[in-house]
Amino acid sequence: MAREFQRGHKARISDLTAGTDLYVGVQITGPGLTFDISCFGLDGNEQLSDDRYFVFFNQPKTPEESIQLLGAQAGDTESFRVTLDKIPPQIQKLSFTATIDGAGQMSQVAPGYLRIVAGGEEVARYSFNGAEFSTERAVMLGDFYLKDVWRFAAVGQGFDGGLDALLKNFGGEVAEEEPAAAPQPQAGAPSFAPPAQATAPPAFGAPAAPAPTPAPAPAPQPAQGFAPPPAPTPPPAPEPPVHAAPTIVAPMTPPGGAPVPPPAPAPAPYGQPGQQQPPYGQAPGQTAPLPPGYGQPQAPQAPAPPPGYGQPTPPPGYGQQPPFGQVPGQPGAPGAPSPYGAPQGAPQGGAGVAAALQSYKETPTGQRWTQQNKKMVRVDLGMGGDQAVLARQGSMVLYQGKVDFSYKGAGFSGRIVGNATGQEMQLMRCSGRGQVFLADNSAMLHPIELQGDAVCVSAENVLAFDETLQYEVRRVEGHGIPGGALFTMQFQGTGTIVVKTRGVPVVLPVTPTTFADCNAVVAWSAASQVIVSSQVRMRRNAYPGDSGESVNLQFRGAPGNFIVVQPYEV
Amino acid sequence: MNQQLAGFAPAPVAARMENHGNHMLKVAMQTGNDLLARVGSMVAYEGFVQYEPNPPAVRQIAKDWMTGEGAPLMKCSGDGLLYLSDYGANVVVINLNGDAISVNATNLLAFDAHLTWGVERVKGLAKFAGQGLWNTKISGQGWVALTSRGKPIVVDCGGGEDETYVDPDALVAWSPNLKVKGKRSFKAQSLIGRGSGEAYQMAFSGQGIVVVQPSEDSTDRLRVRG
Repeated sequence: MAREFQRGHKARISDLTAGTDLYVGVQITGPGLTFDISCFGLDGNEQLSDDRYFVFFNQPKTPEESIQLLGAQAGDTESFRVTLDKIPPQIQKLSFTATIDGAGQMSQVAPGYLRIVAGGEEVARYSFNGAEFSTERAVMLGDFYLKDVWRFAAVGQGFDGGLDALLKNFGGEVAEEEPAAAPQPQAGAPSFAPPAQATAPPAFGAPAAPAPTPAPAPAPQPAQGFAPPPAPTPPPAPEPPVHAAPTIVAPMTPPGGAPVPPPAPAPAPYGQPGQQQPPYGQAPGQTAPLPPGYGQPQAPQAPAPPPGYGQPTPPPGYGQQPPFGQVPGQPGAPGAPSPYGAPQGAPQGGAGVAAALQSYKETPTGQRWTQQNKKMVRVDLGMGGDQAVLARQGSMVLYQGKVDFSYKGAGFSGRIVGNATGQEMQLMRCSGRGQVFLADNSAMLHPIELQGDAVCVSAENVLAFDETLQYEVRRVEGHGIPGGALFTMQFQGTGTIVVKTRGVPVVLPVTPTTFADCNAVVAWSAASQVIVSSQVRMRRNAYPGDSGESVNLQFRGAPGNFIVVQPYEV
Repeated sequence: MNQQLAGFAPAPVAARMENHGNHMLKVAMQTGNDLLARVGSMVAYEGFVQYEPNPPAVRQIAKDWMTGEGAPLMKCSGDGLLYLSDYGANVVVINLNGDAISVNATNLLAFDAHLTWGVERVKGLAKFAGQGLWNTKISGQGWVALTSRGKPIVVDCGGGEDETYVDPDALVAWSPNLKVKGKRSFKAQSLIGRGSGEAYQMAFSGQGIVVVQPSEDSTDRLRVRG
């Protein structure tokens, strides 16, 4: 099963596939647009120090042929063959880019993808579409980069200039104006196997199991396509199996046609075993006869399928699950008492409570404020001076050491102001020595470190802050705001403040046209100037009881200022 | 459309219990290897699975499971794939390998029926919590799934005399060999309405781990649904 990548996702290539001879396909199209898709081989400084490692239509391969341009095939606009083993050590990163040739901008592109195919099987796919871009004319789609081992990152970052600018960005030079040659589709593909080819030299599909593969080598092997799987049934089943078990309601009926895994009687509900049928989830336009599709037995997270589960034959279509009614001892599941049997082997990472919870361990100490995960933060009292921390009441979930929690009043004037403005915080003071874990209702937490600068945060979004910070209620003036004005808390000084948001926030740089809903904006850097721009929004009018008027805040300021907006209108 | 949704198809089964995403549990059911799960936690199943709410044996054990705090269980048996979830809570799968874990009743999602389990009351806490805290101690060889509102954190208690204090609402599970006692942090101030918001905690000491969730929401959604 191809692993879906989102922008920003990274993974070790060895986790995706054991192979190192990879096919990289890029599909990017747009009405009236033509694209140049190229691969930059960059050195440790992310510079194109060697022009020979700029693979594009005029230079279809590198000297030792570790990167080759293959042309359009199998539904891909452009494709590459990358042999990771052969890449020379000075090349630390391969950046796959697409640039628009001629007029146009990236927001016009149709949904496309960058995919990695190993051994005829798609192992990773990063999908993108034009909505993620705006006026850019180039986009860096994905990177292969060497950090101990080769890794893949879905980048999806737009770039304003065209191919020339991109080349200059990487430190290259445009040797001559406008290379004339059109992309030459390679006549006769080289002797390696893009997904469109059913036959390939076995060397390409061989899972060489490179250095730090976490999985034991035999486990991913069956998924590697061309190596003959140890299963009794090869994938191209010549005739559809005859199954006696027509429905899943009769689980104990053994299927008649024994060894072919998917429970596919003639009107198969999902997935025909026939090879020509594109499986569920495959675009009909693609012609890959060995489609990676949907049901490959290798899951990225489960590198070692325990014995008894491993249907080693990649059944085409949907059916990676063993049939319900498979009788014990069938050749498809040797040794397993039942197809759904609980494998007694250890899960990945070993058995036991400690192993299962390994990924949730607290992060090591070292700083005063440490984010444990997105929703929990730990403060080390007594580290970095003996100052106390003020936190929202009840936000402590755990503490170790000698910590004292006490009520923190706002003072008389503070309460008056708080009552009048709504910017009131129910705080407690944590002092002493020890570690305190803070969290609040699964909200996402964001520690912001202030070094003499200031930030404005709405009081209800403050989780905790160093007592050294000064805070005051600030007023945002403007007509049209219900109640006459809008209030926020301004924090200033040196220290850390933890802001909480509901959902993943967006942090926008302040530009001449930055607007935010006053109900959704969480924080902004205090150096930016806030202007109120009111407008009537029909959606708000639809709610009874609402004033019908909402307020947009416009932010202005020097570059470097930011605002934080949450996906939730309080 | 299929291309978009294809990424959410179940991964091939590799173990008795697995996560499907962060918030859903997938159990490979098998005859003779029954599962005890929270009533109402089933969201989907494939195959032939039967549910028996509160089987007599369980009722026997859970006799002293107080109605206010306990979590009713159902026994699932059959062959197939069973999907469980609890209102979008994170699911943590643990393979017990002869060790034991103590789980807060509301945070228990499912466990193998052949495991040794029992309901016990946390001592020393009831007197000021007003409600008591009930937990399920599970031990043996098998699989347990817990829920946590948000990604949990596991804290090692260190083994010494130092105590780790946990907000009972955020507590998910702990090692049963830890010493537990209640700690109140009431002060005179609290009596005049100026509490710090942290009225009482549970103190753990000894060798073991404590699992806490980043939320102080301990409401039992599955029970509320009825």
